[in-house]
Amino acid sequence: MDLKRYALIKAATNVISGFSMVTLIILGVAYMSFDNAFVFQDVKIEIVNNPIKKHDDINFTMIGSKKHECASTQVYGIAYSDDGHMHRLDTFTKQYTRNTRPGEPIPNQWSMAVPDDMIAGGEYRVSMTGDFICNYLIFQKEKSQTYDNILLVVDPR
Amino acid sequence: MVKLVPNKPQYNISSQYNKYCMIEDRQYLIAAQVERWDLFARLTPTAFLLTSLVLILFDIIDFETAFYVGLVGFATTAVVWWWWAIITIKHLVITLNRASKNLNEVSREIVRATQEIEALKNGS
Repeated sequence: MDLKRYALIKAATNVISGFSMVTLIILGVAYMSFDNAFVFQDVKIEIVNNPIKKHDDINFTMIGSKKHECASTQVYGIAYSDDGHMHRLDTFTKQYTRNTRPGEPIPNQWSMAVPDDMIAGGEYRVSMTGDFICNYLIFQKEKSQTYDNILLVVDPR
Repeated sequence: MVKLVPNKPQYNISSQYNKYCMIEDRQYLIAAQVERWDLFARLTPTAFLLTSLVLILFDIIDFETAFYVGLVGFATTAVVWWWWAIITIKHLVITLNRASKNLNEVSREIVRATQEIEALKNGS
């Protein structure tokens, strides 16, 4: 191989290597940003019909914005009573709007049935958890986000 | 292929120039290391990018694994390069000082020789 050809190959590999390095850095930074981002930002969840009467469902309302495209795979709540009992809320009587668009605050609401084992009623603290599959550029990741300490007051059944 | 590093010089180890031979050997070693770093810098990013893309495409690894492997590789390279650079710079500074000292000695010898010649001329 003569010197000119060697210099050409060296220059070409330098350029390719440079572009590869830039691509790796951009993808690395983008992945870190995507990995560390929460599903919802500026999020607020409330129960709007406290106390829950005997035949009513629990009505939730939520507002928040998503940074990335995220689709929920599972949403459930856990109600913690003052005496340490846990009650799982996962029976939707009214569904929430799925796959809301990212970038702007979107109001959402849903209703859940009062669990059968909440016959005593009383005050509860609800944690709502959502599992999501999020997409950004070429990345895809499963994420989970929990919103704690939502006050739930249930009348005795 | 064109070699930028010159062929390793052959020395008589038992000669009085052992010290200088070792310095030459070290310089040869540094030149070879620089060429290896150059090759590493030109090939590794592209090789890593292509390998990761292929492995992710065939679902053998996920993005997270590729990211952490890249991060560990990047950090290891940075640390190794840093120490190599420090050791090499130290060696180069020592070599430069030695060369400078030798040049000063030669300069002083020339001045002394000139003075002696002048004295001889004046005496005759």
